[in-house]
Amino acid sequence: MDNSSKVREFVVENFLFGDGEKLRDDTSFMEEGIIDSTGILELVFFLEETFGFSVEDDELVPENMDSLQNIARFVGRKMNAGSTAEA
Amino acid sequence: MEFHKDILKCDSKSEVEHICAFIQQQVRAMKRGGIVIGLSGGIDSALCAALCVEALGKDRVFGLILPEKESNPVSAEYAAKHARELGIETETVDITPTLEAFGTYRKRDEMIRSVFPEYSSESKSKITLPADLLSKDSFNFFTLKIDDGKGNVKSARLNKKALNGIVAATDSKQRTRMMHLYYYAEMKNYIVCGTTNKTEVLEGFFVKYGDGGVDIEPLSHLYKAQVYQLSEHLGVIREIIERAPSPDTWSFQVSDEEFYFRIPYDKLDLLLYAWQNDVPVEQVCETMNLAAEQVKRAMRDFNAKYNATKHLRQLPPTLE
Repeated sequence: MDNSSKVREFVVENFLFGDGEKLRDDTSFMEEGIIDSTGILELVFFLEETFGFSVEDDELVPENMDSLQNIARFVGRKMNAGSTAEA
Repeated sequence: MEFHKDILKCDSKSEVEHICAFIQQQVRAMKRGGIVIGLSGGIDSALCAALCVEALGKDRVFGLILPEKESNPVSAEYAAKHARELGIETETVDITPTLEAFGTYRKRDEMIRSVFPEYSSESKSKITLPADLLSKDSFNFFTLKIDDGKGNVKSARLNKKALNGIVAATDSKQRTRMMHLYYYAEMKNYIVCGTTNKTEVLEGFFVKYGDGGVDIEPLSHLYKAQVYQLSEHLGVIREIIERAPSPDTWSFQVSDEEFYFRIPYDKLDLLLYAWQNDVPVEQVCETMNLAAEQVKRAMRDFNAKYNATKHLRQLPPTLE
């Protein structure tokens, strides 16, 4: 399963009770009320556990977390930064 | 659409009459002899008490002061002073033993220690949302801040388990107060007066079956700015009018803005009014001298909090 699919599956299972039919890649979690103040903490925990990086407080912004496509870009940047640092 | 900086100003005299008629009507409808009100030392309960005295007379209003060991000591002092000026009967009940018996402090502190193992009985704690939403965008996530009692402050973003545990334990403070209010209300055959204002109702800033567990809500149509206006009109004491609004449920002092709203009250109420009345963003920007991005951010936050707290404003759903 690729990274985007893992995130989608997590969001659908944990915040949409398994019903992801209307969840598009650009659906805003904030606008649609999908993720609240505890939901964001669950999402961050999932990202840190699944992809092995730390999410800083100042990264908890809509640009990084407000939709599946934003998360996919954020995860990509973090993974690249990690591999660059390792190299 | 009409929208200007004074849009929330009301005719104090007629608004007081309007609320007093409501209080009289509700006490009559519930066939009770008077009203019990929890006096927190804050402006909302102070105004409610003053309105109840206007509506029913001082002999039919009973004030209950319910401090606990983590309350700001001036809260009970201000509450008692305001009650004396109103001439109402009061009783002070320290709810600390009830909270200790329930395990409020122990349960909360266990959760805090899962984040900060060094947290001790001398330490103070609070939780906050990111500051200043209008200047910097971010999700609503809670941070735990502790003070070791010597001014050394540490903070950490909370995980879900710790957040839920801390909130669940702390909310028992408001629910314990509700239990005491109903004890006295039933003893006296009175109703219980709520103190939640419109700003708090819309954003879900109250505890279900805590401070939200009441018989009537005389302020729920008034924004906080209007609460201040009527408080001035009815002569609420200066100490209460001038103190910063705070939930007063955390040992490490925290303001309403820091804990939940993320926007200063002077802007919050106008933005909430604009949100509720669909005032065009451009008009809000022009009136309040804000950028479109700031206004949209505030509106998005109102939507998020309103939707996330819908269940707090509902009666339990039932089958037909």
